[in-house]
Amino acid sequence: MTRCDDAEQVPPEASGAGVFVADDEVGRDLASVDWRATPLGPPEEWPQSLQTAVSILLSSRFSMWMAWGPELTFFCNAAYRRDTLGRKYPWALGRPAGEVWAEIWDDIGPRIDTVLATGQATWDEALLLFLERAGYPEESYHTFSYSPLRDDSGTVVGMLCVVSEETERVIGERRMATLRDLGSDPSVVRTEQEMLGFACRQLGRNLRDLPFTLTYLFQDGGGARLAGVTGIAAGHPAAPLTTAAGDPGTVWPAAAPARGESVIVPLDGAPFADLPAGAWPEPPTQALVVPLLQQGSAPYGFLVAALNRYRPLDEAYRGFVELAAGHVAAGIASARSYQAQQRRAEELAELDRAKTVFFSNISHEFRTPLTLIMGPVEELRARLQGADPQVREELEVIRRNGLRLGKLVNTLLDFSRIEAGRMQAGYEPVDLATVTAELASLFRSAIDKAGLEFQVDCPPLDEPVYIDRGMWEKVVLNLLSNALKFTFEGAIGVTVRGEGDHAVVTVTDTGIGVPADEVPRLFERFHRIENARSRSNEGSGIGLALVQELVGLHGGTISADSAEGEGTRFTIRLPYGTAHLPAEAITTAGTGAGATAADPYVEEALRWLPADEGGEPAGDGMELPSHDGSAARSGGSAVPARVLVADDNADMRGYLVRLLKGAGYLVSTAGDGMEALDAVRADAPDLVISDVMMPRIDGLSLVAALRSDPRTAAVPVVLLSARAGQEASIEGLQAGADDYLVKPFAAAELLARVRANMDMARLRQHQARWRSALVDSLQEAFFVCDEQGAVIEINSAFTDILGYGPENLPYTPIHPWWPDPAADPAAYQQVADAFSGLLGPGRGSYTIPVVHRDGHRLWISVTFNEAQDPDTGRHVVVGTFRDVTAEHYAIQRESALASLSTGLSQAGSLSDALTGALRELRGLWRATSVLAAVFGQGEEPALTVEGEPVDWHGLPGDRRQTLTDLLRRPLLTPVTERDGAGILLEHPEGQLALWIDLGDHRPFTGEDQVLLSLLAGRLAQGLVRAHQIDQQRETAIALQRAILGPSRLPDGFAVRYEPATRPLEVGGDWYDTVALPGGRIGIVVGDCVGRGVQAAAVMGQLRSACRALLLQDDSPARVLMALDQFAAGVPGARCTTVFCAVLDPETGRLSYSSAGHPPGILAHPDGSTGLLDGGRSVPLAVRPGATRPESETVIPARATLMLYTDGLVERRRRPLYSGIDQASQAVQDGRNVAVDDLATQVMIRLAPADGYDDDVALLLYRHPAPLEMTFPAESSQLAPVRKALRSWLGQCDLPTQIVQNVLVAAGEACANAIEHGHRHAPGDIVRLRAEASVDNLRLTVADTGRWKSPEPEANSHRGRGVALMRAMMQQVTITPGPYGTTVDMQMRIA
Amino acid sequence: MTTPLTLTPGVRPDGVALLTAAGEIDMSNTDALAAALDSTPGPVVIDLTSVEYLDSAGLSVLFAHADHITLIASPLLTPVLTISGLADLVTVAEGDSGV
Repeated sequence: MTRCDDAEQVPPEASGAGVFVADDEVGRDLASVDWRATPLGPPEEWPQSLQTAVSILLSSRFSMWMAWGPELTFFCNAAYRRDTLGRKYPWALGRPAGEVWAEIWDDIGPRIDTVLATGQATWDEALLLFLERAGYPEESYHTFSYSPLRDDSGTVVGMLCVVSEETERVIGERRMATLRDLGSDPSVVRTEQEMLGFACRQLGRNLRDLPFTLTYLFQDGGGARLAGVTGIAAGHPAAPLTTAAGDPGTVWPAAAPARGESVIVPLDGAPFADLPAGAWPEPPTQALVVPLLQQGSAPYGFLVAALNRYRPLDEAYRGFVELAAGHVAAGIASARSYQAQQRRAEELAELDRAKTVFFSNISHEFRTPLTLIMGPVEELRARLQGADPQVREELEVIRRNGLRLGKLVNTLLDFSRIEAGRMQAGYEPVDLATVTAELASLFRSAIDKAGLEFQVDCPPLDEPVYIDRGMWEKVVLNLLSNALKFTFEGAIGVTVRGEGDHAVVTVTDTGIGVPADEVPRLFERFHRIENARSRSNEGSGIGLALVQELVGLHGGTISADSAEGEGTRFTIRLPYGTAHLPAEAITTAGTGAGATAADPYVEEALRWLPADEGGEPAGDGMELPSHDGSAARSGGSAVPARVLVADDNADMRGYLVRLLKGAGYLVSTAGDGMEALDAVRADAPDLVISDVMMPRIDGLSLVAALRSDPRTAAVPVVLLSARAGQEASIEGLQAGADDYLVKPFAAAELLARVRANMDMARLRQHQARWRSALVDSLQEAFFVCDEQGAVIEINSAFTDILGYGPENLPYTPIHPWWPDPAADPAAYQQVADAFSGLLGPGRGSYTIPVVHRDGHRLWISVTFNEAQDPDTGRHVVVGTFRDVTAEHYAIQRESALASLSTGLSQAGSLSDALTGALRELRGLWRATSVLAAVFGQGEEPALTVEGEPVDWHGLPGDRRQTLTDLLRRPLLTPVTERDGAGILLEHPEGQLALWIDLGDHRPFTGEDQVLLSLLAGRLAQGLVRAHQIDQQRETAIALQRAILGPSRLPDGFAVRYEPATRPLEVGGDWYDTVALPGGRIGIVVGDCVGRGVQAAAVMGQLRSACRALLLQDDSPARVLMALDQFAAGVPGARCTTVFCAVLDPETGRLSYSSAGHPPGILAHPDGSTGLLDGGRSVPLAVRPGATRPESETVIPARATLMLYTDGLVERRRRPLYSGIDQASQAVQDGRNVAVDDLATQVMIRLAPADGYDDDVALLLYRHPAPLEMTFPAESSQLAPVRKALRSWLGQCDLPTQIVQNVLVAAGEACANAIEHGHRHAPGDIVRLRAEASVDNLRLTVADTGRWKSPEPEANSHRGRGVALMRAMMQQVTITPGPYGTTVDMQMRIA
Repeated sequence: MTTPLTLTPGVRPDGVALLTAAGEIDMSNTDALAAALDSTPGPVVIDLTSVEYLDSAGLSVLFAHADHITLIASPLLTPVLTISGLADLVTVAEGDSGV
């Protein structure tokens, strides 16, 4: 190593620095910390647990920091450095955490203390902290958890913090909320003042981003007036009510916003002396003044926004303020435009009234000017045959429309004449067939041109028909015109026939026909069939009405037959002769001006036909001079704006095309609404101008169709109509049209409207772009769902999080990000449940698992709300979600770690610990199985399996290979394969290769890997601990065997021992009995301070000492005094409490002394209890050398003595005597139960709900002890047995007669046993046992022989013996068996 | 070791033979009792006042001689004598219970 030379200057390259290799950069900086100067010392001496923690920290991609040791020495990883630490890096490394985060220690210090004190993790979501990482106190939000870190012995010595910074999200949401509120004005109509009031209320709700705001509006006369304030009082020195124009001394600079510029104003100086602080402790230090922009004009005014001093004025903040100002400006624009619209509507209504009056009064006056137009036009046509084609074309337009207008005027006048009865008719006799055929022939060219067959079948009639030629022309031409208008293929036919006294004329077509219910109304005046497909929508709906009137004037009738889709037939019947006509109107002959009258009809019909599109194709060469070329640019780009003109009138189309082209627009055309819709859908123009009345789809339907399709909804539409009046205008605007122009209109007005709407659309698109930019800038994913749950709009965060982009919208359910129902039904169900909640009413939020487009699993937290689409009125669901995968896994990690730790801490052995941990891992990942192979000393690894049991040889070869391969991997580094994941960790007996078999190809994500390495680290620590416990227990059990208690208890005693420290089976409490000279018994119950192995060691010494002392001296008081001296020399023995007694089992005499020990309990046979509370003094070694008192008592026959340690009776928040009373009651209640059973009962009855929390020793003695005797089966034994039994019965304090009865019964049983013994196996052993409780005496005699059935004849006295036993005792059971007979006898003695 | 039993033959003031027993009578020493009775023909009064224990073996001997014996016994033995039915066959006089 080249560094060796200057090793003294450079901090020593610690050998333990291997702990830092997981991260190059932070690891290097950590390695160069002078650790010797910290309480942690050099890394090579760090405990395994610290090394593990640091490795995990450095290898994690999540932002984490940790603190360890007495000073909470600070560590962090690269992610934390980047996200949070800022300028404090690398200064912070190795420093006390309290110094690193001094500015927020008040917030986080108590949390860390809690973690260290309780070992419980904390969780904080979006906690506001003021960090000084960028040179100023910065408002920042953090979601983090502190979890405890434990050293090798399990003590909490530090904490790990997993943190994600959410400043952007929290602040973004807050600003978004303000903007949303600003845009959520529920009312439609408001005045400017109302609108400003609303906006101020919204701005005033965000005092964090906008501590105060001022809204100034420019006034006509210069200067500005204060129109709204938030967070500050109007009239405050910083909020003057007006500002004068051009005054340099004014508080706010009005000049810059007047030019449309923003300006930052530092808030220092006199007017800003006493500013309100908004939601913050300190007032703002600067304000942003932004203009309230007006499209195409000077700004309305400006907004002063005081700025949050705890955030930088970055792009996002500036954008927020500008957007807020934009909302205010848009509100002002809409309020002012609403007022303007209202004024215009009033004006229109007035105009309409005037027009109605005008038309009704002077319509007949049209004829004169029309004639004066048409005459010169005809002359000009003739004169200009050879002129410029454009001149001729324009003349044609004038002429055609002059004809049409003339026809309309004539028709109207005809009506008024007919209605007034002033129709001047002259009926002359004609050959109707010839006249009709001639009229029909006028239409032949038009019908041919339309590609229709024209069948004229008019053979001459026998009689003349009287007609007015002019009227008849109108009849025939109207009918033919009508037929052509509605017939697209097939034929049109005209026939004339004679039929009786009538001539019958029919006009038939194969057109669209008329619905049956419309037929009766065909001849109604002004009735039009809605939505009928026709060549033109021109027409007033009076043609057929006029025909009927005219036919009626001829005394004839007209009828119609029609079938929808097949065609229509009109049949006219005219009577021959003149009888039906007024005589004065009959003329004899004459020639009408048929051709002139026919012109308008035919010319009009020709205009409907496609090949005659003169206005448009010709329009290419008809550029009008541009009014203002720049107006027609779209969106400020160099590309001219495109306009689509939809009108069924070719002339109008042509006129509009010329007009618009002249203004510099690119124009395309459509002949009806359907064509227009197709054209817009194919390639949306910048604006559509459409006539309202059009065939197939009319203008209103076109608007509705465009608005309902999101792709075309934004295209502005200007409607043109001949229908004037406010209602028509409102109808058009309600349908969604952007503007409405009534014919006739001035070219300049049309162009102005087109331009205004184009600008408005651009503004709207600008806002839409802002909206989508804003939505896109959201950190949270944003989406809109329609009523069916299809996702129809998303933002870029959505795409970032889920991988699904806007190009495939809409996403219909089941959405592609749902989990696979087969592979993960639980996750699928979660999403399905959330989805049904989403479609339900109201709002909600869910955290659900979803699948990224690339297949990886995510957790998202979705919040959604029902909303109404303001354009379509449809219900939609608007939602946002954020990626909470990290949080989800952090929580999962915490709970998995907690669960694993709990399991490990409760495990009683190494194998328990491992098995439990494998079960946790399997549950956590829902794994098929989890394998743990420990490669230790043995030839083959020791395999532990959670799942289908299998041994090492039963594993597939490749699985064995996988596990073996893990040995070559670094420790705690996960390895994944397609069907699972593995990791290597330290096991106390070797290396442990762990394999999680996921089986079904589920992905094992990066999160899973982090978790696995954390868990494996924890497991390795836990295994070490469990191993220590194993070793401790082995030692302890050996110790316990040596010291706990006497291997054999004297008769009459029962004991129990319950150690508090679960894995250990010894503790500080003990009991002892010592056989003393003279048949007496020394009894000791003691309780050393503490528990566990240390207390057990002290206990062992005291127990041995006490035992030895008792053998030397039978005075309990003196024994304890000697023990005082001994205990004074044993560390940890001080304050041990001991109850020491000497019992004479013959007499029940008990002498005792207590060293601070709870009193013994004596349950008398009569149901009373007493306490052995004499002989009391202080615990051991408290006053060595002081004299101890001694007491004496006699245990009555059949009484029960209980000695115990305080663990049995002492409970928190309960006086000791209450426990002693409870124990007394328990003994008393069991005074009739055998002592061993009583011991079990007492332990159960006094146990707290969650088990004893302290060592418990319990000793019971019932006086007298049961009598147990064994003797050879010889009759000579009877007398001594009887003597012993008599003596024992005497101890039991029983009446003489009972004693005698028992003696007789026992004697008979023994005699029987001896007889058997003699007979079958001389010298065999007979066993007698007698036991007395309070009211029962039980006697058992057992031999090894075969019982003899009573046979009084053969052996009368034996039979008498059994009879005697049955007579003397209350219950006698003789149980013979192959190896002996047992006689069991009981008697109630109470 | 044989159960302690003292048998003292004698004659009552009325000339009837008297056998005074003291101690305990069980199967280990009934032979002695039987021998004493066998050696005393004619009516005999057996004083069991000082007998503290009498078992079925002893009763058997007494049953065998039931036709010529009269018993004096303490209340301690009354249950045995009554239950065994001996009291129905022979006269049992109450002796002092001063055992």
